[in-house]
Amino acid sequence: MDVFTSLITAFDLPFMARALLVLVVLSLVAGLVGVLVNLRGLEFISDGLTHAVFPGVAIGFVWGGRDGLFVGAMVAALLAAVVLTVIVKRAVTSDAAIAIVFTAMFSVGIIVVSRETNYVGQLDALLFGRLLTVSPTEVNQTVVVCLIALVLVGSTLKEQVFRAFDLEGALAAGYRPLVLDLVLNVAIALVVVAASSAVGNLLVLAVLIVPGAVARLVTNRLWLLFPVAAGFAMLAAWVGLAFGYDASVNGGVDLPSGATVVLVLVVGYVAALVVRLGLDRIRALGRRRRLVERVGR
Amino acid sequence: MGYFEQAILAALLIGALSGLVGTLVVLRQRTFFAQALTHATFPGAVGAAILGVSIPLGAAVASVFIVGVMTLIGRVKRQGNQVASGILLTAGFALGVLLQGLNPSLPVKVDSYLVGSILTVSSSDVTLVAVVLAFAVLTLVFLGKQIMFSTFDVNGFRAAGYREWLIEVLTLVLITATVVTAMPAVGAILAIALIAAPAAAARLVSRTTTQMFVIAPLLGALSGLVGVLLSRSLDVAAGPMIALTAAGLFLLALVLRRLVAQARAPRESGVRRPPRTSLRLKS
Repeated sequence: MDVFTSLITAFDLPFMARALLVLVVLSLVAGLVGVLVNLRGLEFISDGLTHAVFPGVAIGFVWGGRDGLFVGAMVAALLAAVVLTVIVKRAVTSDAAIAIVFTAMFSVGIIVVSRETNYVGQLDALLFGRLLTVSPTEVNQTVVVCLIALVLVGSTLKEQVFRAFDLEGALAAGYRPLVLDLVLNVAIALVVVAASSAVGNLLVLAVLIVPGAVARLVTNRLWLLFPVAAGFAMLAAWVGLAFGYDASVNGGVDLPSGATVVLVLVVGYVAALVVRLGLDRIRALGRRRRLVERVGR
Repeated sequence: MGYFEQAILAALLIGALSGLVGTLVVLRQRTFFAQALTHATFPGAVGAAILGVSIPLGAAVASVFIVGVMTLIGRVKRQGNQVASGILLTAGFALGVLLQGLNPSLPVKVDSYLVGSILTVSSSDVTLVAVVLAFAVLTLVFLGKQIMFSTFDVNGFRAAGYREWLIEVLTLVLITATVVTAMPAVGAILAIALIAAPAAAARLVSRTTTQMFVIAPLLGALSGLVGVLLSRSLDVAAGPMIALTAAGLFLLALVLRRLVAQARAPRESGVRRPPRTSLRLKS
């Protein structure tokens, strides 16, 4: 019973409520952006972007502490998004090139942090976030950045979907894919920035990829994908936070909260995958039986 | 042999191995797969540290599990390889952190699995790298032709009566072994740079795949050596420095290729040469 009560009571604590707020806002945006990432097959590029933002986070953090972190991440994210769009557009690239460029940027970030004295603990916080100690200003920053990303993608959503399904059609209809790509990449980068203080640089990818993938498993209807993804992400954030809280209060086990939420997301994905496979199997069996009946008659 | 000499030896061997197998990764276009694999070895290493078994063993077990799951998800409709890699990649990170959180008394710093610590590799780690390197060289010497055939023309390969899955399994084993052995030195995140960069650089400057298989290991070993030396003289972490050196070599190759192309262009009497496609696969 305790597990269920802590689903509600855990969030009476202000820091838990803040964490939940951050995650809910992130989930909303992830629902929108993540589905587009999935439809366009941009998982690899998103991974590159998260790595590319890291040196900005690191340099900003070394120069200006927690506030500098945000500024540095913003600059790096916008830069990386523009560079990435140009690289992909000029088609001089393969996935190997993307991996090399962004891992190199990540190395720069690590080197910057490694020059600091208290290196290991800080690296931990930058990579995996500190969901439970986000400050009210950070909550505000996250909300604002998420809103910008939401507006960017929301205002071009129809065009984005058009481009995802029919590039030539979009071109013929007079849309400019370069602008659309730029908007989407900037939005992805903004999500990375917004999430970097809460869930950390390495776990952002889960927020971007998993909800979209789950939505694709759950429904075939295009416009249902977005609410399903966002709803799933919120549910996972809620359950994950409450579970982590319950484990530390009642179980005495100190779970890292960001990782717990991500693992709940992944478990949800596995459940959706199993159910989908089961349903497909049943449907296939039913079809075969009908066929057999018809032939037998 | 002092710890520094041992680190240099390890860097040379790991660089050569990564370059060699990286050529397979690049030519068969498995970069994202290899990246997911490197990331996913992280929980394996943490788990091994908790259980007290050897780190490469834990990473290897995790890798085998992950390759299995990845193949399964990759076959599901509407999901595909990229989704599978992406999800396993973040799941790996989250699981690793969680395991670390559950065992705060862990003696080793888990961060060193992320960015590597080449100065602390043991002599058994180095032996392991040497064994894997020998295996990779032997495989490529004896089966290189078949591997290349299947890489560039799957249908022709099948039609000629070869079994494709054998080659697929073999390359998977090679990639996994490389990732696992490279991890203690350059870490779960940065290993992909050492695997992809020398091979991609070699592809830019070589004319045949055979040249690639020679140049890439040399470049990899060079990255390892220069990276370790630089990290010592600049007093920064070794793993990132190796990755940066490898990326620098790739950039150098890119510039070199551009220059050569420009120098040659006038001789082609104004006609633009079509891009060389022999080493490229259709996507």
